Amino acid sequence: MMLLLIILTPLVASGLSFFVRKNSTVFLNTVAVLSASIELIAVMNIVFSVVKNGEYVLASYLAVNSIGAILIMIIAIVNFSASIYSVSYLKVEVRKEIIGISRVREYFSLLHLFVLAMFFSVITTNPILMWIAIEATTLSTVFLISFYNKPSATEATWKYMIINSLGLLLGFFGTVIFLYPSLRSGHLGLVNWQTISAGAGNFDPFVVKMAFIFVLIGYGTKVGFVPMHTWRPDAYSKAPIPIVALLSGSLLNVAFLAILRFKMVVDLAVGKDFSQNLFIFFGIISIVIASFHMFGQKNYKRLLAYSSIEHAGILALGFGFGGLAIFATLLHMIYHALVKSILFLSAGNVFLKYSSTKISKIKGMLEVLPVTGVLFMIGFLAIVGVPPFGTFLTEFTIFSVGIKTHPIVVIIALMALILVFVSFLRHISGMLFNEKEEGISIGESGAWTTLPILFLVVIFIFLSFYLPQFMTILLNKAALF
Amino acid sequence: MNSNFAQILFFLEAMIFSAVIFMHLSKKSSSVVNLYMLQSLAISILLFSSILEKPSLLLIFAVGITFAVKAIIAPHFFHKLISRNHIKFSASTYLNAPFTLIVVAVLTAFSYSHLFHPLTVIFSQNADAILLAVATMLSSIFLLINRKGAMSQAIGILSLENAIVSFTFLAGLEQSPALQLGIIFDILAWIFIAGTVAMMIFRHIDSFDVSSMKRLKED
Repeated sequence: MMLLLIILTPLVASGLSFFVRKNSTVFLNTVAVLSASIELIAVMNIVFSVVKNGEYVLASYLAVNSIGAILIMIIAIVNFSASIYSVSYLKVEVRKEIIGISRVREYFSLLHLFVLAMFFSVITTNPILMWIAIEATTLSTVFLISFYNKPSATEATWKYMIINSLGLLLGFFGTVIFLYPSLRSGHLGLVNWQTISAGAGNFDPFVVKMAFIFVLIGYGTKVGFVPMHTWRPDAYSKAPIPIVALLSGSLLNVAFLAILRFKMVVDLAVGKDFSQNLFIFFGIISIVIASFHMFGQKNYKRLLAYSSIEHAGILALGFGFGGLAIFATLLHMIYHALVKSILFLSAGNVFLKYSSTKISKIKGMLEVLPVTGVLFMIGFLAIVGVPPFGTFLTEFTIFSVGIKTHPIVVIIALMALILVFVSFLRHISGMLFNEKEEGISIGESGAWTTLPILFLVVIFIFLSFYLPQFMTILLNKAALF
Repeated sequence: MNSNFAQILFFLEAMIFSAVIFMHLSKKSSSVVNLYMLQSLAISILLFSSILEKPSLLLIFAVGITFAVKAIIAPHFFHKLISRNHIKFSASTYLNAPFTLIVVAVLTAFSYSHLFHPLTVIFSQNADAILLAVATMLSSIFLLINRKGAMSQAIGILSLENAIVSFTFLAGLEQSPALQLGIIFDILAWIFIAGTVAMMIFRHIDSFDVSSMKRLKED
């Protein structure tokens, strides 16, 4: 029932938003906040049920296990904050005549579809349905990236569309190869992860390795691993901020889950070494390349985009190292989703105030935007893994596991992380502490553009110091995947 | 599967592969679209042959929809786009024709190498056709990379999708009709969205040439 609710709610919300009169923004806003709230409540219901029963099943091809529960929780929380934030963010943009009032309708109908596609890709147990849903995330976000209808936004959209479509088609190729033992054995009906895993022993080792490489490159494009990452900074710098928060906080993890599901099968077929080495390879090059890009960055949205690539690399390293690092990596996934949403939504407030995404134009944030400035600073300290935040603990755990088996990789990663810290410090300190320029008024754009960020900060700080029992259970079960 | 049927399948796959080769050589946008139509027709015939094996109403419907979307709606949509914007020629490439053919030849040889050969264990009766499908995939990716026109790139993606569908069919991995409908719905949405974004590019830079898109670099 609850699973049906998290599928139907965004679907109905999208339909209602699409068919409403063009200037009914109150209605659009109400639908957005209401649907995000319903989804969050339904998701938490599912999460507690998974903690209690191990799995939440609606049909043979719609079910949520522990790792799925973590993912839908991330989507629901980020979506809840992003939806509330969107209401006031778009209001300011309409007031400033950046967008027309009619665009609000388009925005919300696509946002709901995007959320629906993400939920569906997590809860389906059929790999082809999952692929269709992930492809749908690309299609639903295309017009959100080109939302401002500028030439540069259109360029970013084309790049996003072509690179992701190519990646996902390669992922599709890998996916169908994964199905061959199940289909060969005459399996009737929809194939699910259990049937694929059950047939893992019948895979030709070479074929399954090749299939996994295609899957890793395919869905890895969506995650943003280097060298398939090039769409990410462009798309992030052009899309509306709440959408970027969802792209970075939720979609990255959804695509990662797709890879993890195939990893589980390939590990059964050929052992863990093969997938772990690939994860470590993509992880380390993503961290290193992203850190160099961050150092010379001039645009804060692009800076945060490269930070997402770097964290995708940390997640890959964690899963690559295996063992205790998997628990820490899953927790890092949650922390990263929260912190990156905090940073992007704060960056939205910065843009509303300064009307620029250039780092050099942003000065005196702590004076101009006292609340956002503090929240942004917390986000910055957390994202670079400064203690006592949870991200420090997870990164520390991942690297302490890795140092035993892959010392050189860990040393390179740590050096890159120092560069990341220096880069962030270099850019953010100027933004926060420099003297503000004349003509910039002091004060936030409104309470509703800061409260959603505050909500995320409270959750993040709480989880940094205390992990509730239900989350420990979920993470422990998910770490055994 | 008898050898005559296997030969017919190989012939159809060869048609799909040839279509990509001619797409590489074609200078006119409308020719590229026509070649895609031809390729899609061959795909539809491939899928239609599965109806003869396992007839069902849903499968007939799925194959019918695939034919309608790929061989009728998509080409019609692209032709309309071409005539509306008067883009008779939009076929500039990064490599010239001889070099393009050399690369395609290398990619084809590569797909028949020991690297891809293990894929034929999935369905050894169609081994040659399966490897030709892989060659079609690689050539389609190269089409996407080598062409500067937005529309040619879109056709490159669609051709890659056709190549994967043909691989899936030849390897005996075709999905249930319901899933096929899901995939084709995605493709239909993709075609319209790609067309719309291509139009937006045309409005902004007065060309479909993606190599003229330099604003992101300037940012």
